[in-house]
Amino acid sequence: MSYALWPEYSVVLGVLVTMFSVMVFKGRSIQAYWVALATIVASGIISIADWGLKGIPVSLYGHGVTVDAFSLVINGLVLLAAFGALLIGWNDRRYGPDFPVLVLLAMLGMMALGMANNFIVLFIGIELLSLPLYILAASQGPGPSGEAGLKYLLLGAFSSGILLFGLALLYGASGTMVFTQLDPSHMILPLAAGGLALTVVGLTFKLGIVPFHMWIPDVYEGSPTPVTSYMAFGTKVGAAAILMRFLFFGFALDAGWWGPALGYLAVLTMVVGNLLALAQKDLKRLLAYSGIANAGYLLVGIAAHNIQGARALLFYLLPYGLAVLAAFAVIQVVAGERESLTVSDLRGLFRRSPWLAAFLAVSLLSMAGIPLTGGFVGKFYLIQAALFSNQPGLAIGLVVGAMVGLAAYVRPLQRAFSAADEATETPLHWPWAGSIVLVVAVIGTIGLGVYPAPIVHIVNHSAAFYWLH
Amino acid sequence: MFLVWLMAVPLLGAIAALAAPDRAAKGIAAITSVLTLLGYAGLLFISRASINWAWIPEWGIRFHLVADGLSLFLLGLSSVLLVVAVFASHKDAGRTYYFWLLLLGFSTAGLFAAVDLFVFYVFWEVLLIPVFFLLTGWSGERGKKAAMKWLIMNLVGSFFMLVGVVALAVIHSQNGGGLTFEISQLSHMSMSSPVASWLFFAFLVAFAIKAPLWPLHGWMPETYRESEPPVTAIISGVLSKAGIYGILRVMIPIFMPQFREYQMWLLIVATIGLLYGAFMALRQTDMKMVTAYGSLSHMAMMALGIFSLTQAGILGTTFYMVAHGLLVGGLFLVLGLLERRTGTRAMADMAGLNRSAPRLAAYFLFFVLGTLGLPGLPGFAGEYMIIQGLFVSHVVFAVIAGFVLIVAAWYMLRVFQAVMQGPARTSGIKDLFSGQVAWLVPLAGLVILLGVWPAGITSHAVPSLYHAMNLALGKGGVR
Repeated sequence: MSYALWPEYSVVLGVLVTMFSVMVFKGRSIQAYWVALATIVASGIISIADWGLKGIPVSLYGHGVTVDAFSLVINGLVLLAAFGALLIGWNDRRYGPDFPVLVLLAMLGMMALGMANNFIVLFIGIELLSLPLYILAASQGPGPSGEAGLKYLLLGAFSSGILLFGLALLYGASGTMVFTQLDPSHMILPLAAGGLALTVVGLTFKLGIVPFHMWIPDVYEGSPTPVTSYMAFGTKVGAAAILMRFLFFGFALDAGWWGPALGYLAVLTMVVGNLLALAQKDLKRLLAYSGIANAGYLLVGIAAHNIQGARALLFYLLPYGLAVLAAFAVIQVVAGERESLTVSDLRGLFRRSPWLAAFLAVSLLSMAGIPLTGGFVGKFYLIQAALFSNQPGLAIGLVVGAMVGLAAYVRPLQRAFSAADEATETPLHWPWAGSIVLVVAVIGTIGLGVYPAPIVHIVNHSAAFYWLH
Repeated sequence: MFLVWLMAVPLLGAIAALAAPDRAAKGIAAITSVLTLLGYAGLLFISRASINWAWIPEWGIRFHLVADGLSLFLLGLSSVLLVVAVFASHKDAGRTYYFWLLLLGFSTAGLFAAVDLFVFYVFWEVLLIPVFFLLTGWSGERGKKAAMKWLIMNLVGSFFMLVGVVALAVIHSQNGGGLTFEISQLSHMSMSSPVASWLFFAFLVAFAIKAPLWPLHGWMPETYRESEPPVTAIISGVLSKAGIYGILRVMIPIFMPQFREYQMWLLIVATIGLLYGAFMALRQTDMKMVTAYGSLSHMAMMALGIFSLTQAGILGTTFYMVAHGLLVGGLFLVLGLLERRTGTRAMADMAGLNRSAPRLAAYFLFFVLGTLGLPGLPGFAGEYMIIQGLFVSHVVFAVIAGFVLIVAAWYMLRVFQAVMQGPARTSGIKDLFSGQVAWLVPLAGLVILLGVWPAGITSHAVPSLYHAMNLALGKGGVR
């Protein structure tokens, strides 16, 4: 009897109970939120308990899933993302009881991606992640939200098709579906190369890598704020995890096939994403482009194809996610009933609420990579990885991207810390749930920057892909 | 322990100032800065205080701070100027102002004491943020532009330096030495020449931007023009020294062969900066900008001292950093007092102020004379040693530097003449309050002490410099 999959089983159970609670309690049914929160906490506790368990790492379901330290860390990140999204949307009357159910379902998909070891689980994970997010994106009905949902659905379905085709080609070329049994030296070469390329394209689409990033700004802008935070954090965790699983377990020895290509894509993404972020007026669009640029940073870890790269990527997901959560929590508070918030709307935020301005500052400075925030340590680790793999171009691309990005992040900050034009200094209402997210995210960001050693230790233990040397 | 004190007190004080009401903020900041200075005084009685804690063991990063002959007096400079800047600030500047000011004190203390490259880099970047907010929040729309320029120019430099920092550690690790960021260990390793040249320039550009050295001084005019006088005093007095200090602390031990290789180019560029700053200072009509460009010229003088690659030159730079920091910081503060009284900085609008404000005029003259390098005041001793070093290395540059000293006397005295002497055209101004004298007198006293007793610093600095140069000796050494 193995306890390895109990974090996931508990989520399945939680989804069922949440749906049941919606049937029992009428109205907006805040109970559904409480059940979902309890599920997240329970799953987190079980994941932590699994960490020290004897039977781990373990391969289950005919090598379909592997539960190891890596998948448990991904579990933790995904739970954090769901926790943040749930609490950011908690006090908003516009989100009904369907919201927690869909958040939990998408979370299950992300968890599956963290431990997938064959093509079927990979595809199920991607779809389980995407379908609830399509609904969530469109949950505000016609208008920007509906448009975002439709765009996401159409382009997402398209990318799923590409992904599926790629997986089919790979299966045809190799005769196996299990990552760890893929042996590129015994594959039919053109089929394998085409399959690998299409699969990577399908996955980088989810990650939001240039030139497959077109959907991100529109979808992020139109979707409700908690959903956007979930997409920006959770989806990227899932996509990055499955890219690592797929490439590091399936094609580790054939890095020549994909390493250079991903390196160029990473540099392109970092520079283009940050450049476009510079031109944005809408805050959510700005964060969308910043999300694209950050996907580029993540890709550096994969393109470096060494063990430092895997560790750096895994580490970077945490400060990135915390910064995203803090930024979107601030947006949710400041925007209030509105769905969009421009950069100039931030004007005078410091006068209206000094703490909120300070939290936004910590989040944006972390994204910009200023020391004593987690974002800096993450970038530092990525640069190490790039240089250890003797690819200074990656490191240079990263800092050039960060320089451009800095200008983009400083602009909203300057607005927030300057005096308001007119006397619209209405005090802001702080929802308690959103405040929890803010405080956790900001303390986490600074904590990671000041004393990252414990997390570095966990990450080093977790991404122990020793065969990458 | 005093090193911890030096950093913890400003940090805690900053938080306390932020939590306190606006009217109590200045009091808290004053107490904090004085306590910091007392902690520093304690540091003077122990030789080579240091702390060395594990920070991120997986990457070989240690929180390693040392107060040796190189850093000890710069730590003192930053503590002294912090006290003076707090006392010279507006009472109603608000708690966030004092929060950022104390945070600046915290980060400069960390920067000057760090001997681990990672720690050095962390504080190097952290100190940009307080200055950015001090520029954004307490000056007009143009101050925002200046803040933007300050942050972006400095970060462009330091991001390349970040790659350099990591690259040094990675090369050290790939050479089989393990991952470490300790400067003294990194200085022992061998690098291929092209790689070393790239890294050399990555570091040099970052340090030259911060100093600033011509032609990378683009942020300087606006920042100096728009900042509050106490902030200007700290930027020009302390932060600009960080650039020069970085060259001394980081680059001299690691990149000696590259210094030798590019010495002629470095000397030429620094000399152009020396002349450029001096002549730009002559052309200014704003008394603050005269001082700003004069300071640019003096920074080039310090760079020349290092680039001479002689013991006299480098020692002169070490001394001159402290002397110039005190002098130019004091000068900017006196200019600030003057500006607050007259409401203008244009020299054409002022004349004959020494009648109504003789005490202010006296302090003004004192700092002007110190800045232009009058013998007996510490600026002279520093410049003398630098020129001596240049004389040993390349006579031409010594001659040019000597010539610039004359120009310096010209542009500094021009300011004094225009403002203080001549027939009084405007109504008189109030003289100094006793509260202002309270911080001007100790500052001036410290300057005089350094002027008559430079050995107080140099005798301490020499062993550390020998240490730094001995590290470099294996790679070509210093004459």
